[in-house]
Amino acid sequence: MYPFWEVPIFTSGMVIALIATFHILPCHLATGAFWFTVFVERKAYKQNRPELLEFIKKYSLLILIFCFVIGSLSGVGIWYAATVASPRGISGLIHNYVWGWATEWVFFVIEIASIYVYYYTLGKIDSKSHLMLGWVYAWAAWISMIIITGILAFMLSSGKWVETGGFFDGFFNETYWPQLLTRTAFMFCIAGVYAAIVASTLANKKIRKELVRSAGLWGVAGMLAGVAFAGWYLYRLPAHAKGLWLDESLPYLGHLLNAAAVAYAVVLIWFVVCCLIKPRLVGPVSGILILVILFLGIGAGEGFREGVRRPYIIDQYMYGNQIVAKDIPAKHVKAEIPRFNKDGFLAHLYFRPNKIDPKNRTDLLRAGSVVVHHECGNCHALDRFGKIRPLPVLLANLSPESPGDIQDFLDSLGDYPFMPPFAGNELDKKAASEYLFSIVRR
Amino acid sequence: MDIATYVNSMRDPAGLPFYPIVFQFLLVLTFALHITMVNLVVGSTFLSIWEIWKRNSFGLRLAKALGRVITVGLSVAIVLGVAPLLFVQVIYDPFWYTATSLSAFYALMFLVVITLAFYSAYGFYLGNRNADVASAKTGWALVAAGFLLFTALFIHMLSMEQLMPQHWKQWIVSPSGVVSFSGGEFHGIEFGRLLHFLIPSFAVTGVFLMLYSAYFKDREDYDPDYLDYVGKKGAWMAFWASAIAIGAGFWWLGLTPTGFHFARNPIFLAGAILGVVTTAYLGTSLHKPQERAIPSALLMFSSIFVMCCAREALRMKYMSKAGYSIYNYPVNTDWPSTLLFFATFAMGLFVLYFPALAAFEAGRTKSGQVATLDPSIGKKAVSAMIAWFVIVAGLGIIVSVKNGVLF
Repeated sequence: MYPFWEVPIFTSGMVIALIATFHILPCHLATGAFWFTVFVERKAYKQNRPELLEFIKKYSLLILIFCFVIGSLSGVGIWYAATVASPRGISGLIHNYVWGWATEWVFFVIEIASIYVYYYTLGKIDSKSHLMLGWVYAWAAWISMIIITGILAFMLSSGKWVETGGFFDGFFNETYWPQLLTRTAFMFCIAGVYAAIVASTLANKKIRKELVRSAGLWGVAGMLAGVAFAGWYLYRLPAHAKGLWLDESLPYLGHLLNAAAVAYAVVLIWFVVCCLIKPRLVGPVSGILILVILFLGIGAGEGFREGVRRPYIIDQYMYGNQIVAKDIPAKHVKAEIPRFNKDGFLAHLYFRPNKIDPKNRTDLLRAGSVVVHHECGNCHALDRFGKIRPLPVLLANLSPESPGDIQDFLDSLGDYPFMPPFAGNELDKKAASEYLFSIVRR
Repeated sequence: MDIATYVNSMRDPAGLPFYPIVFQFLLVLTFALHITMVNLVVGSTFLSIWEIWKRNSFGLRLAKALGRVITVGLSVAIVLGVAPLLFVQVIYDPFWYTATSLSAFYALMFLVVITLAFYSAYGFYLGNRNADVASAKTGWALVAAGFLLFTALFIHMLSMEQLMPQHWKQWIVSPSGVVSFSGGEFHGIEFGRLLHFLIPSFAVTGVFLMLYSAYFKDREDYDPDYLDYVGKKGAWMAFWASAIAIGAGFWWLGLTPTGFHFARNPIFLAGAILGVVTTAYLGTSLHKPQERAIPSALLMFSSIFVMCCAREALRMKYMSKAGYSIYNYPVNTDWPSTLLFFATFAMGLFVLYFPALAAFEAGRTKSGQVATLDPSIGKKAVSAMIAWFVIVAGLGIIVSVKNGVLF
């Protein structure tokens, strides 16, 4: 195991979740926006209306400054956050999908080259070529979504990969197509919100009204299609994931889904009322408010996707605490739980106390701290004031009288469908129980 | 458990999908591209501050041009940086993940600082677009320069910590057995190495100025005196910065463990010789920067690439000391995905020709005029991507139907 990084109160997992949710807005805008841009630019040339190009200039500048600063950095940020919070998890993905990511990188390079040239050559190269640059960007950006969705879907449903170890068997799994289509639809919705905000700042009232309406139509179409595809996506969830959600093993999953639905309904109403019926109601203030609601909705939706994956970080293959859960014979991978149970979890750690005397309580507490951080700390805050599934509070609800009571609880962990089993021998378990009992009493 | 057992046991259990040397080559190549762009951004930031301080019209014009270069260059540097970041995780995963976990706080601060540098650069560029000699301001550029230096420091530290596996444990495990989970370690600053990465920023920016001067010399609306000013400044900077970088390189060499005998390493020697040749060539180009711009650029990138190879050879020396070699990393060859990448890479080069040509032609066209391109070039670029989509989507449908996961 790599060294563990503890984030007090929120957990390191929450750091990834926050960055990832924040990344969704600029990256979905980056993938969706240029379909709207080329639509408007084509119209400008076809109907000989150069006044529409003012919008193109403003909209593409926003995409440059927002998407290519926040979007590209938050994208790298997810990697960095995953690296420090779940190094074996990201390593597992990278070692199976390195060529997928490298392929996506080729499209990133095309995107960045084409968007800068597009922005800086508006009015400086012939209109047909300029429009083609817009198409190059639009396709490259959407293809990058096609690729990354395969890796995200693999984390939720690893498909035939567990049998074959094949790249495409894991990539094109049961949730891939519905997830791709859902994201594609919602990217038009996000592009619509941004387009409406930018259009509302145009000086020409007629153009403003026309473009806000067009953005509203794109948004409504994206939302309606998105809801339909999201239904298919939910239907295609693996049985285990559906169980966690529908059997109410984890009631918060239902709440997250409801929150996402409410946020999307508010955005849909905004599109219909403010963009289509009364375009003058659209402005930067209402637009930014809608963006915040959209952000919360996306956060809830992504939180649901992460939640139904439990107890895995990669479906069936790796638990949330980064322990390999299953043999993958095609990759010569062995499950680690049996080995840890036999030899001891601590015995396989490099960053641990050099000497552990099982009869010395101080030694046990120090060793237990290491075991608990590694096995529980990815998902649970370990301080009493922690906000994310705080272990001292959760365990206090069981009213343990002694470390032995906690040890019994650790034995039963594997019975919960959303928890990984405890990995380790009697010494690991004893040390972990001592430490957990101490934080309950602290 | 000793350090060799640790680093080898932490290799990803899934192994590599292709031969390690291929990832190593891609790592070095993409890092060379990335660091060249980083050098351009850092050098342009400092130069634009200097040019504004001089308060003359040529200096202001150059600083405004560099303002755009900084913002675009930083975007490109970040995107190019994704590839070496990916490949280092593939073959050096035990080192990369351990160092970043030990210094998690700084790894994340790196992102905050680079974001601030980016917006400061935009503040400088947008704030001076309409400025004259008297009103031009350097405040945002100074802030950007400061943040860029912090990013350099953080990433340098993360790189250095990877080379110090024998110290990792003592950093976070106390003698009494308390293990720290703070992610706040900060070790290994080596100024010789850091300077060897920073000083070439001025050499690369100098060569960029030579190219700039050569590129715009056919534009009627560009003052030849201005281009002469830019070209000569570029050649002067490139020459002196290259000479100083060689000195920093030898300082760095002196800091490497003597047991490595790195001065006798053939890749290092090739890099050193190429560096000297490049510097000498730049020295003869001081008065003819426009004519010598392209050979200087080729020599400069070759020097950077070979020095990146030397840096990789040095890394392998450090890691072999810890009992690690990438060449015995287990491989589970996956031909389909390997083919996907290399075919896409070839297609990407084909597609990129179109925006590159559009930028080149637009830049060469006099202000107020419109450049006209052969319309078939853009169509072919778009068609190539549509063909990629059709092939991959078709493959996806076949795989999904075969595996029974489509409906």
